[in-house]
Amino acid sequence: MARYFKNFNYLMFFAMVALIAIGTVSIWSAGNARSEAVFHGMWKQTLSTALFGLVVYFVLSALDYRRLLDFGSVAAYGTALVLLVAVLAFGSEIYGGKRWLWFFQPSEISKLCIIMFLADYGRKLRDFGFWGFMLTGLIVGVPLLLILAEPDLGTALTLVPAVLMMMFALRIWRKGLLVILAIMALGGSAIMGAVYEAEKPGVAAETRAAILKWVPLKPHQVKRVKVFLFPEEDILGAGYNLRQAKISIGSGGFSGKGIGKGETNHLKYLPQAISMNDFIFCVYAEETGFVGSLALLALFGMLVIPGAWTAFTSNDERGEALALGVSVLVFAHVYINIAMSIGLVPITGLPLPFISSGRTFLLTVMAALGMVQSVATHREATRQ
Amino acid sequence: MTSIVSIVMFILGFIVLGVNLKEVQVDQSAGYSYANTRQSVRRVQTAAPRGCIYDRNGTLLAGNRKSICVVLSTTPFQARTWEATQARITEAIERAGRIVGRENPLSERAVKRHINQRLAMPLTVWRDLNDRELARFCEHEAELAGFSLWETEERIYPNGRLASHLIGYVGRSEGESGAGDVKFNFSDREMRGRSGVEHYYDSFLRGVSGEKNLIVDARGFTQEEETVKATRRGLDLKLNLDAGIQRTVERELKGCIGACVVMNPQNGEVLAFASAPDYDISEFVPSLKSELYDRLAGDARKPLLNRASGGAYAPGSTFKPITALAGLGAGIKPEAEYECIGVYEIGMMKLHCARRWGHGPENMRTALRDSCNPYFCNLGLEAGTNALITTARTMGLGAKTGVDFGVDMAGVVPDDEWKRKMYGQKWFSGDLAQMSIGQSMLLVSPLQMARVAGALGTGYLATPRIKSGEVAELTKLPFPEEHLKTVREGMELVVKSGSGKPAGQDVSVKVAGKTGTAEVGLGATRRKNTWFIAYAPAENPTVAVALVVEYGESGGSTAAPKVGAILRSIFNG
Repeated sequence: MARYFKNFNYLMFFAMVALIAIGTVSIWSAGNARSEAVFHGMWKQTLSTALFGLVVYFVLSALDYRRLLDFGSVAAYGTALVLLVAVLAFGSEIYGGKRWLWFFQPSEISKLCIIMFLADYGRKLRDFGFWGFMLTGLIVGVPLLLILAEPDLGTALTLVPAVLMMMFALRIWRKGLLVILAIMALGGSAIMGAVYEAEKPGVAAETRAAILKWVPLKPHQVKRVKVFLFPEEDILGAGYNLRQAKISIGSGGFSGKGIGKGETNHLKYLPQAISMNDFIFCVYAEETGFVGSLALLALFGMLVIPGAWTAFTSNDERGEALALGVSVLVFAHVYINIAMSIGLVPITGLPLPFISSGRTFLLTVMAALGMVQSVATHREATRQ
Repeated sequence: MTSIVSIVMFILGFIVLGVNLKEVQVDQSAGYSYANTRQSVRRVQTAAPRGCIYDRNGTLLAGNRKSICVVLSTTPFQARTWEATQARITEAIERAGRIVGRENPLSERAVKRHINQRLAMPLTVWRDLNDRELARFCEHEAELAGFSLWETEERIYPNGRLASHLIGYVGRSEGESGAGDVKFNFSDREMRGRSGVEHYYDSFLRGVSGEKNLIVDARGFTQEEETVKATRRGLDLKLNLDAGIQRTVERELKGCIGACVVMNPQNGEVLAFASAPDYDISEFVPSLKSELYDRLAGDARKPLLNRASGGAYAPGSTFKPITALAGLGAGIKPEAEYECIGVYEIGMMKLHCARRWGHGPENMRTALRDSCNPYFCNLGLEAGTNALITTARTMGLGAKTGVDFGVDMAGVVPDDEWKRKMYGQKWFSGDLAQMSIGQSMLLVSPLQMARVAGALGTGYLATPRIKSGEVAELTKLPFPEEHLKTVREGMELVVKSGSGKPAGQDVSVKVAGKTGTAEVGLGATRRKNTWFIAYAPAENPTVAVALVVEYGESGGSTAAPKVGAILRSIFNG
């Protein structure tokens, strides 16, 4: 018990509680702007979920993560697969995607499940060298494809860096990892370049169609890349969301317009369907300004840097992989979400941890951070 | 190691985000704030209440009456689609109509146009609620969510036809779309002067428009309203006009085609300003209907023409005092006699006298009294073209009077250059002879002639003033006093024993004047424009009159009696 309190990472905990508070206020503000009364009380649901999440957090942090992985990693992975299949079979379709099963989103949970499984079995996979690498690809690839089938590109995009960092830490055929990274970088640039060539002004329709035929993206994704490349074009159509996001954030200025006083949000210029989720950073940044944005970045830093530090100081490979995977996952969410809101990366639907209103994701992240805290509190004196 | 790499990556990532956020939220913030304002704020120009117009004694000539309107705010009726929104608005209007007791005056198209173009603004449904309708509205206010009462003002002209050409009328239009770089999205359809004093003193009467901002949501519905600048009521305008004199003048002109201006020559105050036929300006509010306008514009008698200051007439014999001044200036003695034989021949041209058998020997005073054409033809020729033109221009002819009014016809005092330009012919001495008796190509307005009459009486040419309190410009005539005295004596004789007798009949002061009968047109359109100009009291004139009647018989028989009646109403009070 004494060791628990001694090793407990208070900074991470404090940052998390502060982020929950910020999230509650942001959801309150975004919800009030909605015409539908059901959203006005959304912040209460988020807050109660967060309180429940705190219980989960403390239980998981007190529980030895090794015990948890021993007994739970296979079960978690299996559950994730079942749920991902189930959501495709029985899920309800919202906004052209099947992401919801009953009251939760399996893809959010599955992220943690995959990280747990990989953290647990990484050591064994490493011993198989190349084949271990291929097997890891299969283990991660199957749920990843199921997630992409929903489609939930955002989740897939955040999971990939987390898995890659874990594989690096676990030293699973590092040479192959470098090749994969190179292919991803090249492929990404090639796709970007192809869309640029196709969509730049003055390109004939046939040329455009011919180029886009070779781009492995769906039309709506091409559109998002196009908005990213040419943000000032079509600001009333495809570029509207990004334009409004930037107006929200930019008009917030240095010190913001005050909590609950975001104009673009309350006057519904910010797309209402996503202002509480993917675009909640805009709501927050408009009301608190650059000062608030920096504070938020600092709080996220106080969450993920100690997380990675926990991985570094852990003298257990499983603990290191788990803490690192979770930290990278959270960071990827933060980075991509904020970067897309200001047009640094193409728009992708994914939540901002603690601030967006998704409750499945909130619980998942809190559970994951509970496990990171467990890695911190169950640190051994010497490496095994 | 991987963890340390991650930490470095995290820090780099946060730095990238921080730097970019600084760019958006600090460096480019002003641009985004402007974009935010531009998309969410609609600037509205609000009209100020219009000032009233009074005559010199405080008689209301143009005022405002309150009109209670029912307006609808679109915001509570928004629905998922525009069609549904429109349907909800229409339905609400129908329902409100049953409560208030009025038909829905708006077509589907009108509602749609409002939604498309003026969504943020309230939609005016009914105007001019009467007391019963107002009571019903207030009683059922709870059921009329989205509707509210608005008080607006409508122009009234309580005296109908009185001074219609002078007062003018108003129409409604959108305000100017902003001065300088200030642009408004909407503006109240405010009253704007369209003609007459309403037009000339529009900015004076209109006041200062206000400004408010409507904060609209992404669909364009108003969510909030803030007043940026309050309106300032327009100023009241007091005219020099005397409604009583104006009434008399209009009564005298009734049924005629013509015009009359009465002014005080000592200070330029315009006391009456009438043009006939006239029209009823109270029918022009709240708006001038196109049927009415077409009827007035199509009328052969041209009621819309403001003849008092915009009618161009040959002055006829009323010009003779000017010829007399020119002759005196050229050194001709007033006592010098000229034998009138009834006709004046110059080259091929024969100019007849009104008295076919001639007046016999005439001096200047008797020639003015008798309006002897040969005498003045001879006088003009002796004075010369330049002297005559200069004198006419000195009396303010051929130039704008400078009146504070929109219609101010300059008229024509012809000369060689002008004739060459207009007719391609040089100036003949025949033209000079014609001009000496007010014919030829001379064109004047009644306002100019009232000024001339006054100037002859006072020795000062006054700028006519419509608005009270405006200081008149008085220009001293450059003629020796004895010249003016001669002309005045001649003009007094006109009324005392000449053709202008009716103008002085029973008037309690001494009147001086001059008749005029100008023949215009050829063949079927040949007609006489009959004039009388006068000033009174002759010793110290406070009133100058010029009156013209088209299709008259003669200045003495048609115009002079009317002037007499006007002067009686002024002086025999």
